[in-house]
Amino acid sequence: LAKKYKEDKMSNLVEEYFEAHSSSKVLTSDRTLQKLRKKKLNQQTLHDLLRKAPLAYDAEIKMLNQQHENLFSKWMLQLHLGFNIVLYGLGSKRDLLEKFRTSVLKDSVHLVVNGYFPSITIRSILSSITEEVLDHVGTFRSPPDQLEFIIKRFKEDSSLELYILIHNLDGQMLRGEKSQQILAQLSSLPSIYFIASIDHINAPLMWDQAKLSLYNWLWYETTTFGPYVEETSYENSFLVQQSGSLALSSLTHVLHSLTLNARGIFRLLAQYQLENKDNPSYPGLPFQDFYQQCREAFLVNSDLTLRAQLTEFRDHKLIRTKRGTDGVEYLLIPVDDGTLTDFLEKEDEAV
Amino acid sequence: QQIQEDLNKQFFDNLVNFLRQSHSDFQEKTPEWTRGMKSREIPTAALVLGVNVTDHNMTFRSLSEVLQNNITPYIALLEAKDCAGIKNLMQKLMGQLMNCHIDEDSLEDEDYVQVSQKRIRCSMTCLVNWYESATKKTNSGTPSKRTSSSSHGQYPPVVVILKDMESFSTKVLQDFIVISSQHIHELPLVLIFGIATSPMMIHNLLPHAVSSLLCIELFQSLSCKEHLSTVIDKLLLTTQFPFKLGEKVLQVLFNIFLYHDFSVQNFIKGYQLCIVEHFYSQPLSVLCCQLEDAKMQANALSHEQCENVRRLPSFRRYVESQMSEKQIALLTEDSCLKETVKELLEDLHVYHENYVSVLRCLHVFTSFLPKYPLGKQIRELHCTCLEDRVWETEEYESSLQLARMLNKSDLVTMLQQCVEIFVSSSGKEFDKIVEKLKEFLTQFQNLEEEAFQEQDVSVSSQKELQKKTDLYHLQKTLLELKESRRSKKLTKFEVLRFEVVDYIDSLVREHLVPADHKTLHEVVYFNTASFLREHLNAAPRIALHTALNNPYCYLKNQALKADGGSISNKAPDICIAYRLHLECGRLINLVDWLEAFSTVVMAAEGPNADAASSDQDDDIIHARFIRAVSELELLGFIKPSKQKTDHVARLTWGSC
Repeated sequence: LAKKYKEDKMSNLVEEYFEAHSSSKVLTSDRTLQKLRKKKLNQQTLHDLLRKAPLAYDAEIKMLNQQHENLFSKWMLQLHLGFNIVLYGLGSKRDLLEKFRTSVLKDSVHLVVNGYFPSITIRSILSSITEEVLDHVGTFRSPPDQLEFIIKRFKEDSSLELYILIHNLDGQMLRGEKSQQILAQLSSLPSIYFIASIDHINAPLMWDQAKLSLYNWLWYETTTFGPYVEETSYENSFLVQQSGSLALSSLTHVLHSLTLNARGIFRLLAQYQLENKDNPSYPGLPFQDFYQQCREAFLVNSDLTLRAQLTEFRDHKLIRTKRGTDGVEYLLIPVDDGTLTDFLEKEDEAV
Repeated sequence: QQIQEDLNKQFFDNLVNFLRQSHSDFQEKTPEWTRGMKSREIPTAALVLGVNVTDHNMTFRSLSEVLQNNITPYIALLEAKDCAGIKNLMQKLMGQLMNCHIDEDSLEDEDYVQVSQKRIRCSMTCLVNWYESATKKTNSGTPSKRTSSSSHGQYPPVVVILKDMESFSTKVLQDFIVISSQHIHELPLVLIFGIATSPMMIHNLLPHAVSSLLCIELFQSLSCKEHLSTVIDKLLLTTQFPFKLGEKVLQVLFNIFLYHDFSVQNFIKGYQLCIVEHFYSQPLSVLCCQLEDAKMQANALSHEQCENVRRLPSFRRYVESQMSEKQIALLTEDSCLKETVKELLEDLHVYHENYVSVLRCLHVFTSFLPKYPLGKQIRELHCTCLEDRVWETEEYESSLQLARMLNKSDLVTMLQQCVEIFVSSSGKEFDKIVEKLKEFLTQFQNLEEEAFQEQDVSVSSQKELQKKTDLYHLQKTLLELKESRRSKKLTKFEVLRFEVVDYIDSLVREHLVPADHKTLHEVVYFNTASFLREHLNAAPRIALHTALNNPYCYLKNQALKADGGSISNKAPDICIAYRLHLECGRLINLVDWLEAFSTVVMAAEGPNADAASSDQDDDIIHARFIRAVSELELLGFIKPSKQKTDHVARLTWGSC
């Protein structure tokens, strides 16, 4: 009976998938945040605002944490018996792991890896092991070589013990097959103990049979409901001002340091782009036309000066050039229209 | 913990031994074959190992050991992950072969005239660590190595084991094969492929031109199911290990094995975990050891532990069944309790010994039946016996019926076979606790004799029938025949009755459900299946879903209690955002989402919020929304989409 029920559920799931993906047309309203006229918050103000907002259910969350902390001694036993521990569940597990670190591991050698940190690499993890734990100076050609060295050292010297705590094993940089392979091999060493946390719903997809057996995971559900403060601070959310694409403030900063003519050139390009913003197939302004316009506005006097100017823009990532199918060079400003409009308005005010 | 570690070790040793054994026959074949090979092509052994990749390490390790001991070849073990390009592969190969040399030479160097020369070479390879030995170019290295080792008498082959054939890139593999086939005259190379899927794989990976350079022979390894059944035989169905698994736990372990991974190693891991948990959580697990030790431990029980014993549900049942004065003594005096505990432990021990042998016996009986109503494997039988009273199940009924139907002479021979197996096992493993076995045996022997007699009778009567031809005699013989048939029926009946006696006797006496009928079974049985399932076979997505959908499960606050599908508007932000996102299709408009979110949140705060501070409230709500959305993004429920401005794409579907 239970099996049948399960099958039913399965087929339902499948149907739901096809239902969701049946029509390529998506019915949503066309409203955009731009029209909401709400200023975009930046990281700092967001943080401040959130601090003002009270954290709900403090007492209950503390209770939950208390429950998890009771498991600490059990974890230690299981770690020493060759298992590695992985924590899953809703909420940030950072504080929990920190608590574990400060209360249980304070006397032993341990390494903390922040997987959510966007520029962490497997090489840096390995280097911190070789340099700080094993006191080895010198470089390695590739991570596998380094790993081999570590394995050798740990096998030779049985007194070495190392605890590795990984926050967000499923972080952007550690997701890759290679890094997981190396971590798995590390974790299979008997004197290295792993405690990791995962958050992404598809995190277990990273591991195949071989890796799973190397990792030898014991799963623990630790739902904390804690806010992901550190973890999401690197997550470039679309609602927060993005550092990746050009923001208004940086745009004005760069342009203020340019000559008047250069600013004029950029303005010209921006205006032209805004005029064509409703045209989805607008490829950008062809270079020759642009040169013509600039000449007419007495902004440049030769092809060469314009090119030099454009190179400077390109170095600041203010424009992008694209070669069309006809071999003509097209110029584009890789900034969204709203920011561009704001910029032009500001410029007008200034003038 | 000490005991437990011992146990662990004991159990592991046993296992390793067994794995060795099971591979040995197949390993013996391969070395012989490698020795025999001499041809222009590269001799290749393809080992079909099955999908349980994780178990193969052990196989390869013991294989290389056997090869090392028997034929003196140099062995290199290559894994796909080390061999991204042909260069890496060659480096790894060289490195491993050089190391092999050093090992061998240090053992036998006194036999050599050119020791000094070789020493230099070896010490050089010793000195330069992995880096240098790896950088040595293959072309110069390969022939020289061979000349140096050719003094080993007849040219020993160099064996290269490719552990995971499937994960090698085709190009590297092809290049390697082509290169080594060029050198086959100077360097007798033998390849061994470990294949997880099927031998068709080789032809898929290698084009004809390359595979024609190989001379492939297939070897099949034991299937993982057979491994499992031997493991079960050796581990679960012995009295050697005092620690036992309950039915539910076993079921979980078998399910993981059969439906998920076919990995014996994982099965063992689960077993290990059970041991750890049992000794960690159960205060009376100190008593879980061999009988003599257990008695010693029982003598040394502290008062607190005695209380623990009294608290056991099975012990309570036992107390209730006792006389009243004994009850009082048991509940108050520790010494009396200790005596009883010792008796009970002994009882339990005897029970286990009987259980295993009778289970085996029953298995032999039932596994002859068509359609296997009680299961084909002994593990299934074990589970049913643990789960419930066997004699009450329908399957048992039907198997009895089948046994009655099957009463032919060949069944008798089968029975005899069973007895033989049974005798051998009982002679080897147990010191004859039950005299019953012998009784069975004599009964069986009687049966056999009678069967012979019957045969004689029937044969003679047949003969008589042929001889006599007149009517009177015919009638007489027919009558006699009838008589004899009746008697034959009776003897057949005897078989039947015999069986029934056998069954009922052994089953009713010994096949009782442990949890129901044995006192102190908690000491040796581990039966928390949910624990295993949680930690071995976790479902992170379900945990996330329940936490998001029904936060009351975790945060015990009355305000969060919601009925049915709805969610209270006082739930944490992320839950509200999640709930709202569930109602959307594939794409979600952020503005609408924000508005819905703020409506819900405002409604929750509605009564005490003033209109005056609404602007700042708005900002705060906006910020909270941003946090919730970015958390959902981190969790992988949504991702930013470029299809439409200010939209996010949902990555899950349906309502979960």
